[in-house]
Amino acid sequence: MIPLFDLRLEEPDIEAVLDVLRSGELAMGARVAEFEAAFAAHLGARHAIALSSCTAALHLAYLAAGVGPGDEVIVPAMTFAATAAAVVYCGATPVFAEITGPHELALDPADVERRITERTKAVCTVHFAGYPATPLRELCDAHGLALIEDSAHAPLTGVSGLAAAYSFFSNKVLACGEGGLLATDDDAVAERVRELRGQYGYKLDEPRAALLLARLPRIHEDVARRRELTRAYRARLEGVTVPYDDAAVERSSCYVMPVLVEPERRDALREHLRERGVQTSILYPAIHEFTAYRERFGTPSLPRTEHVARAEITLPLFPHMTEAQLDQVVEGLR
Amino acid sequence: MNELDAVAECLRSGWLTMGPRTQAFEQALAEFTGAPHAIAVSSGTAALQLACVALRLGPGDEVIVPAFTFSATAHAVRFAGATPVLCDVVSAQAPHIDPADVERRITPRTRAVIAVHVFGHPADLTPLRALCDAHGLALIEDAAQAFGAAVGTRGTLGCFSFGAGKQLSLGAGGLVTTADDELAARVRLLRSHAMTSGTWDRHRGHASSYDVVDIGFNFRLDEPRAALGLAKLPNVPQEVERRRAAARAARDALTDGTPMFSLDGASPAVAGVLYDTPREGRRYPALHELPAFADLAAPGSLPRAEDAARRHLALDVF
Repeated sequence: MIPLFDLRLEEPDIEAVLDVLRSGELAMGARVAEFEAAFAAHLGARHAIALSSCTAALHLAYLAAGVGPGDEVIVPAMTFAATAAAVVYCGATPVFAEITGPHELALDPADVERRITERTKAVCTVHFAGYPATPLRELCDAHGLALIEDSAHAPLTGVSGLAAAYSFFSNKVLACGEGGLLATDDDAVAERVRELRGQYGYKLDEPRAALLLARLPRIHEDVARRRELTRAYRARLEGVTVPYDDAAVERSSCYVMPVLVEPERRDALREHLRERGVQTSILYPAIHEFTAYRERFGTPSLPRTEHVARAEITLPLFPHMTEAQLDQVVEGLR
Repeated sequence: MNELDAVAECLRSGWLTMGPRTQAFEQALAEFTGAPHAIAVSSGTAALQLACVALRLGPGDEVIVPAFTFSATAHAVRFAGATPVLCDVVSAQAPHIDPADVERRITPRTRAVIAVHVFGHPADLTPLRALCDAHGLALIEDAAQAFGAAVGTRGTLGCFSFGAGKQLSLGAGGLVTTADDELAARVRLLRSHAMTSGTWDRHRGHASSYDVVDIGFNFRLDEPRAALGLAKLPNVPQEVERRRAAARAARDALTDGTPMFSLDGASPAVAGVLYDTPREGRRYPALHELPAFADLAAPGSLPRAEDAARRHLALDVF
């Protein structure tokens, strides 16, 4: 079976975790502080605050942006549910905006602008699959809105808005199991997030910080390999739509490999791939079509998002994937 | 298996979230606590938050909370959108929720009561259970400090912490226990974004897509912590015995007539000590003495909780 992702830890990574366990200091915070400093330097951000998950980071980012009951936050529906759920935690309403199209799966700035009302407090943009989204900073500034970045897929992308949320979930480019981080250049946001982190039980512990610290120096090497595999996929895939272009790959952390097929063929193709030993996924079913969101917020019409939600197949991608495995996936799609 | 080997083996497997180790840990926790359902979560705070949300507590609902507790107890009520109503404790010497005061504070809006097993000492749940049953209220046990004591099975839901310094420390972690099948299913659903299938199901080919049926959270425990917990769990009774011995020694060493909590049947996380004048050390203010909860009660209105807050000192025992 060629898995969708395959996390492989090196012995020194494991040893770093065992060192913490031997010390018995599981939550004193020395390694958390060291990892925060290292990740802030990696991003070129002023503050990095380690948290229990990216969902926690999004929640605290919205709270720090002042999002509360009665407010609206514009988010894409082509993302993981957490992007919108964290808006609901704050008592606010997620307003779903369109993606640009099949070649650019992030928010369409023109559609974002159309959905701004007097209640809009913030916009959350998603750097889908690690490809930096079309910049929204100027639009947000012009309307006095906070820009939050859901950078769960994009650990190489620095902060351009008020705060950015990162994920270290097990299938991510930099993974530790469950984990996340909020980065910001704003001192007041950082202070508020550090206060709220304890209140919500959102702290990261020392073993996970040690694992992340051990792995962080290899992130560029891992991403270089992910880009190489992505280029190989792009060159070899036929008969499917491959989002983004070659230039975008060189700016991306290439978290996953999305392709689009005819919606009516999607399920059969996935089944065909499964039979040939290839695991696939769907990134993502659209949030506005989930039961929980239809019940609460109705069903806006988002045809471009809905098309991708029905056409997308996520193919296997992980740094130690071989050319032979990649060929097997490509062959299975023919 | 030794705990270092267990964690190393888990990390080498490359599967770090919601897999077989979490399942095994939960099964072991169910056996250990005697609860029909044990759901491992990311923190003790998350356990309390999930308990409140799983009970569908929300705006307009009141939850009675003792004023002498760690702030997470009341924050969890607000997390769900409900209102904490503070009540007094029995006495400074037995700073557990006072059932008589709970009864006085029940209104038509009351939906639940949270009993806190302060410092690991079990609160007497018999009168509270009767009171809650008579009024149709849920009883949540905040057992964040009491893992290893015989608690967590008499309330509607029990909430434990595996944070630093706890009897079973995983760095960060928690547990929800319940006998109610429906609540257990709801806690599991809400723990992982209310998705109808998880990464592990999809990895094994059991599901190809998913629906999201509620507003859920990421309150999952990961596999390395589950492996650590599974390896450490058999040592908990011994760990509790050590703590009891340390607490007894502290009691014996303090010869100035200081009244202390009873240790009968308890597994103290820390030894609570009372002094007639405040001293330095780890201390919990009464909730309404904190800015976040000052609006809930006037100074002087919860005299026994305030007395406990003023006079106690929490000593670490390990």
